[in-house]
Amino acid sequence: MAEDRFQTIVNEIYERFKVYGVTRKEIESRLKLLLFEFKVPEEEAKRTIVNGLRKNYNIAKGDLKTPIVKISQIEPNQWVSLKGKIIQLWEPSSPTIAQTGLIGDETGTARFVVWSKSNKKRLEEGKSYLFEKVVVDEFMGIKSIKVTSVSDIKEISEEIEVKEERGEIEVVGALVAIQQNSGLLQTCKLCGRVVKAGICVEHGKVETNEVLRLRGVLDDGERTYDLTLNEKCISSLTGIGIKEARKLAEEHLDRSIVLMELKKRLFGKYLKVSGELRFRSLNASSVEFYRPEILKEVEKVLGEEGI
Amino acid sequence: MIKGMKREVAKRVFSKEFNYSKFKVGGEGEKEAVYVLTPLGLRCNRLFIVGVLLEKEEVKPDSDMWRIRVADPTGSFLGFVSKFQPEALEALVDLNPPEIVAITAKAKLLERGDRVIPLIRPENINSSDFQTRDYWIVETAKATLKRIRAIENGEEKAVIEKYDPDLEEFRSAVINALMKLKEEQNILEKGREFEREDKERKEVKKDLGFEIDEEIVDLSDFDIGD
Ligand SMILES: [Zn+2]
Repeated sequence: MAEDRFQTIVNEIYERFKVYGVTRKEIESRLKLLLFEFKVPEEEAKRTIVNGLRKNYNIAKGDLKTPIVKISQIEPNQWVSLKGKIIQLWEPSSPTIAQTGLIGDETGTARFVVWSKSNKKRLEEGKSYLFEKVVVDEFMGIKSIKVTSVSDIKEISEEIEVKEERGEIEVVGALVAIQQNSGLLQTCKLCGRVVKAGICVEHGKVETNEVLRLRGVLDDGERTYDLTLNEKCISSLTGIGIKEARKLAEEHLDRSIVLMELKKRLFGKYLKVSGELRFRSLNASSVEFYRPEILKEVEKVLGEEGI
Repeated sequence: MIKGMKREVAKRVFSKEFNYSKFKVGGEGEKEAVYVLTPLGLRCNRLFIVGVLLEKEEVKPDSDMWRIRVADPTGSFLGFVSKFQPEALEALVDLNPPEIVAITAKAKLLERGDRVIPLIRPENINSSDFQTRDYWIVETAKATLKRIRAIENGEEKAVIEKYDPDLEEFRSAVINALMKLKEEQNILEKGREFEREDKERKEVKKDLGFEIDEEIVDLSDFDIGD
């Protein structure tokens, strides 16, 4: 084993136990013994040392400080602490999840899940938090951190510069999907979730706002963007604003007619979208049907082929 | 779909390339998607197609399983729509061949004995228009030529081993598609020129009328001036 790898493991353990007065030397000698004399696998050696130190110093499992790591360093099944900024909150897909979304620091981003059972204070978008004793999980190559009842979350005031892909962009792509939560919708006045029959999953019977919006996927053949079009954008493409949408819904005694109409007019069309990109989310500020001069485009491609 | 998960990009491929596909890749472990590997090395799970719906036929009466055929300039895609794709099925009812359609679909290989049949399972279908179709051809041509270049540059050794594709055949299919489109566009352009000239003539007339009006006004002013 390389010397620097050895030192990395020593440091990792030391960071977690230094507050209890554990010395680097102590860790080094135990690690040497297990790794070089007994040829124990690295993970087993680490676990054995951690368990041993905890026993020696009488540290309950839940109390053990987990090392503060950067998001780019997290690995599945690790218990870690990290500082991160809430970039986005998503609508939880299941009632067992209180909150889910995207968290980031200066090295990268990860998904996070706060289980309902953990009873944590609600996190807010744009605020930074210290997450202690969270466990790292991986699903389909995407790392996520899980907040359970043993985890602690504290809001912190330090400004975290998130390494992210964002800014004003212009993209051309095909609208390859239009989500069901599009059209003329009623949303909860408290949390903004889409409300069905006046009942918010979080807040029960609530007052609602009426909005016209479209959530869809813009796809340029190389990557996809989660696209949101507001009323203004929808109206500039289709002539359907909130007034027209309401009228349609009233005439058909059915709001879903608005979504059907939007699908008919927009699904499969090439759009040129300007807007703010935050990771995969593209919030359109303006949009138009993309109608390039085909002849010029064809001649360009043929030209590149020497024809 | 779980939010925040990577969504499969809808790839652009001509039917000729797609219909030569024989191999699948991926699908190792439960979580990895299965991809159709085309002879030019495209791994596709989802496709975006704009073409002409030529046929639409219920496989058996009242089976709610429809066979469709969608043409592009190089051939046609065979597709099946059933109740498992409710949105596509609903949309299909209102479509009557021949009609230009935009489709997102899953790419599949159907194995029948020692035969492998590439086909599409549309998730969504919508009626489309000539402009969208034309741009799809340009976009798909570009993507296909890029794949051909990658193979020529030796970047796709595994594909060459599996398929040993006749690059010239695929390349000429793309070029033919573009030439045909160019011809159509030239005809269209002539039509537009004619329209423009026509409009210019009308505008000249309008200008003339305006000048005359002004003269009349001037004259009347002159008359009133006294
Ligand atoms: Zn609510």
